[in-house]
Amino acid sequence: MLPAPAVFHFPWEVNSGEVQEGESVRVFGRLVCYQPEESRATLSAQHASKEHRVAVHTLFVEPFNPIIGAQYLVLGEIEKAEGVGAVIRARVLNCVDGVNVALLQNAINEQRSFFIEREQTSDNAQAT
Amino acid sequence: MQRAAMDPAEEPPSMLWGLDPVFSAFARLYVRDILVMTESTQVPGIYFYKLHPIYKVDVLGTVVYKRERDDFFCYGVDDGTGVINCLCWKNDLFKEEDPAPSGAQHSDGAQGGFNLVAELKKLRETQRSRCRLEIGELLRVRGPVKTSRQQREIMASTFYKVDDPVMAVQVAWMMDVPQLYRLCYDKPPQLQPDAAGDSPISVVGKATNIIKDFFKQKSVTRFRPYDVQDLLQPLIPCQPQTASADQLCCVTVAVKEPVAGPSACQQLRQLLKEALQVLQDEGVVYRKVKSQDEVYNVTARDTDLLIAVKDVIREDSRREKYAEKGCHILHVLSAVRQRHSLNVSKATLQLVLKSLECNSDIVSTSEDHYTAF
Repeated sequence: MLPAPAVFHFPWEVNSGEVQEGESVRVFGRLVCYQPEESRATLSAQHASKEHRVAVHTLFVEPFNPIIGAQYLVLGEIEKAEGVGAVIRARVLNCVDGVNVALLQNAINEQRSFFIEREQTSDNAQAT
Repeated sequence: MQRAAMDPAEEPPSMLWGLDPVFSAFARLYVRDILVMTESTQVPGIYFYKLHPIYKVDVLGTVVYKRERDDFFCYGVDDGTGVINCLCWKNDLFKEEDPAPSGAQHSDGAQGGFNLVAELKKLRETQRSRCRLEIGELLRVRGPVKTSRQQREIMASTFYKVDDPVMAVQVAWMMDVPQLYRLCYDKPPQLQPDAAGDSPISVVGKATNIIKDFFKQKSVTRFRPYDVQDLLQPLIPCQPQTASADQLCCVTVAVKEPVAGPSACQQLRQLLKEALQVLQDEGVVYRKVKSQDEVYNVTARDTDLLIAVKDVIREDSRREKYAEKGCHILHVLSAVRQRHSLNVSKATLQLVLKSLECNSDIVSTSEDHYTAF
């Protein structure tokens, strides 16, 4: 009944294969284009001097007011299709323009390193 | 891995749960942890996270599921680690329908624009809009955790929509929670009731607290060490003795076996000495006159000292030299030492200055500078 929790991922992780089909994710990016007829939006993010794009299927979150160039946060499931790569089927699409992307990245990394720390201490505890 | 129920042997006794500050707080745990917390065997409805008793939690997340009934909303909240149902009761805001017809508001335009009925209506609408959320909006929920039909739920005591247009709130939350875990939740709780045999440091701490309480209760202005000595008696472990129970430890009695180490009397005197030294260092007491007769003044009730400090500051604030900046605390200290007693310490003076400032008798112009009007 309740959907799976959407874990934060970075846009460059979506297409690199780090996320599995069906996984629920939360991703941020700048809206670069929107095709309402096909319900397709594209988010983009810069990382290591490369531009990474994420395709978003927006059927469930329409109608929404697309602001090209604004930062968005998408929450949804990964779908992998032949020739298209990974697409996020959005359940939530929020405009968060003005977000401090660097700070957000820091926060995501902070949370991740905390969870890794926890895994390690619990592994140590179980091993003893 | 967490089990479905706590091992009764591991669970701390419920009497001690109140000693854990986390128990009284809305714990900001990750939803993932809330879902797998083990339930207490002593009191159902209380859960444990790493031996901390948890009763109520505080969650911030995106609404990913919504169900509305006449009496309540059920929001599924996703914080990135898990999704949990939050039962949010509708309060009277939703039950009352606005009785006044909209036409009645126009007649009050002559009152200069402030129409109480219209404003109240607007307030109610705003309150309602904070409670009614759609999927994708950010929700903050606080309340006790319940397990119903095998599912964990939060019974919201407080819930509201969070306006977070640039994700500042979510980012701050993500940075704060790991710290809370490291500093609080992942540290084992100090649930041991204080027993005899504690380290010497904490015994002195207890002794000073006992003496401070005594000062407050009896409004003590001055005292000698033997006045407070008996108060510290309970902190000294009693020696085994053959005599009847109501005899004081200090009285020499025939003991079955000689016990090595300092006697109870000596321990008591040593403890008293240390406690008085701590109180002097803190400035709570001071010896106005250092003589054979060990008399201590209690700073908080020493009106002569208070008046002396007030006078020094008031008189010197009038002088041109200090008019603008105020008197530095060290200047006040040397003046008070000349006027009142050479044994006033900086700590004592600071306590007096704080109480004068609280009473608005003096004002601090900057760090360590004071003036009076």
